[in-house]
Amino acid sequence: MTLDVSGLTHQYGSKLAIDDVSFSVGDGELVALLGPSGCGKTTIVQAIAGHITPTAGTVSLRGQAVTAQPPEARGVGVVFQEPTLYPHLTVAENVAYGLKAQGMGATEREQRVESVLALVDLSASHDAMPTELSGGQRRRVELARALAPKPDILLLDEPLSALDRALRRQLQAEIRRIQAETGVTTLVVTHDQQEAMSLADRLVVIQEGQVAAVGEPRELYHSPPNRFVGSFLGRANTLEATGVDRTQSVIRVGGTAIEQPDLPETDQPVVQIRPESVTVGSADDSSADEITFSGQVVKVSDVGTQYDIEIELPTGERLVGTAQRSPPGVDETVSVGIDRRDLVVFDE
Amino acid sequence: MSFGRRRLFGSRQQTAELLIPAVLGGLLVVYFLLPFAFFLWRTGSVPIVETLAQPAAQTAIRNSLLTAPVSTLIATVCGVPLAYVLARRSFRGKRLVEALVVLPLIIPPVVGGAMILTAVGRFTPIGAVATQLGIPLTDSLIGVILAQTFVAAPFVVITARAGFGAIDERLEQASRSLGYGPLGTFWNVSLPLARGAILAGVVLTFARAIGEFGATMMVAYNPRTMPTRIWVDFISGGIDAIVPLALALLSITLVVVAAIQRLGRVPTVIDR
Repeated sequence: MTLDVSGLTHQYGSKLAIDDVSFSVGDGELVALLGPSGCGKTTIVQAIAGHITPTAGTVSLRGQAVTAQPPEARGVGVVFQEPTLYPHLTVAENVAYGLKAQGMGATEREQRVESVLALVDLSASHDAMPTELSGGQRRRVELARALAPKPDILLLDEPLSALDRALRRQLQAEIRRIQAETGVTTLVVTHDQQEAMSLADRLVVIQEGQVAAVGEPRELYHSPPNRFVGSFLGRANTLEATGVDRTQSVIRVGGTAIEQPDLPETDQPVVQIRPESVTVGSADDSSADEITFSGQVVKVSDVGTQYDIEIELPTGERLVGTAQRSPPGVDETVSVGIDRRDLVVFDE
Repeated sequence: MSFGRRRLFGSRQQTAELLIPAVLGGLLVVYFLLPFAFFLWRTGSVPIVETLAQPAAQTAIRNSLLTAPVSTLIATVCGVPLAYVLARRSFRGKRLVEALVVLPLIIPPVVGGAMILTAVGRFTPIGAVATQLGIPLTDSLIGVILAQTFVAAPFVVITARAGFGAIDERLEQASRSLGYGPLGTFWNVSLPLARGAILAGVVLTFARAIGEFGATMMVAYNPRTMPTRIWVDFISGGIDAIVPLALALLSITLVVVAAIQRLGRVPTVIDR
């Protein structure tokens, strides 16, 4: 393991920012630390980089505890959310900054600067000042500067949050490409689930300073271990199960009985279903896994790429489903189809 | 037409908006200018060069040129690190330290000089030891430097502190993560980025030091610096007697300030 974080806890004054956080990142892996704003992600990154000393817990890099070591001894590359290029240095001088600290000779240094600038596709800006560059170019210089000393691990703290959407997409692809080319172990912090899922091999989801889930993006999206992860990773309908019949292994959801071989422990479980798994209109009864509800259309919104249809079930609960074309009218009674396998049941 | 009218109206409105600040600010500028102009008016009736060529004036100029740069240097070498610590760290007793830094600005220089005397005067333990070692702390150039440093050093500390405070701490964190220790980071990042503010502080400190009178008079009435010489000349010869030295003091300060600003001009990004 390149990075091991174990029992990390940090308090600012009396406020607990992170609480017993543990996870690890393997060699060459790209892991995203995902969570809402203010959940403690940046505190975790700062503790890994050594810019804060955690109240408790350890950070190990390449098997060695570094919790007591200063940032300069850790071999951790950092790209911050805010721009931190040195305004008094050129692009090349910025990139060479960390190489000088290693005592690298001038010729070798220049070669490394050239190759890292080529990697981020900015060879032409070698002698430019940071203010002459666009926002996206500056991000790439920061990436180059962090990569130049060949860090053991690269920490990207909300690297794209300040950019517009198109540029963000483009740089996501760049980060993936650069990470694949260099093979550098990377931990990227983001509050954007789309960004995290498209970038990372694995996600560490943080909720209020604690680890809520660890796993592959697709796995966490489709079978989230808890309600928070389910609704944070994407839109989700949440319905309360009204009755649990343990003799027949059945729960009642939205007025319909659903067979559930794995009955939850509690008598008031909750189910989640993603809107794209809710088919409105023609229910396909032929599939054995199909569950059919009936309900009344309350609202139809055209969101551009599709229609979002809000349906009131007999229990009074509301469910959002989607249709690609020809949506039903408001107040129409429709049948709603759900694949049993898309239904996720939580204890609470 | 309508465009023209609107322009006219707009400019009138702007004039009206600027009227109050212009009048108030103008009053102050006139008040700065008047004494200055009338004082310079007298230069015509005074033999400037002859007066400055006299040994007493020469000694005063020499003493001022020896002491003020040293005081500025001491204030900068010790004051800039202090400013950095104050800008970056919180510690027990920080308020006290901050109050102490501002103290010399608040108390009258004469009182400051008296306080220095009570600490290092000839008959205090420190002063006595120093005198025995042949380095008298009062009535000596060292005394002048002590007085100037006490009064002038706060300027560089306060200005540099504001300069360091304006630097995003993440720029320093990035430097640490790129392999530099605290000292290397200070030298490569904090210092260059706060350079403009530090130089402004150095200029203010120098100007204050070379013009220092109150505390210097208490701690080292002799040897004479330009300000103490000016005082002595004024007592014996009135205003006309001090015009030459005052002009010399003004010129020296202007030249030094201009030189520091020119030499130390921060190569801002736009300039490059």
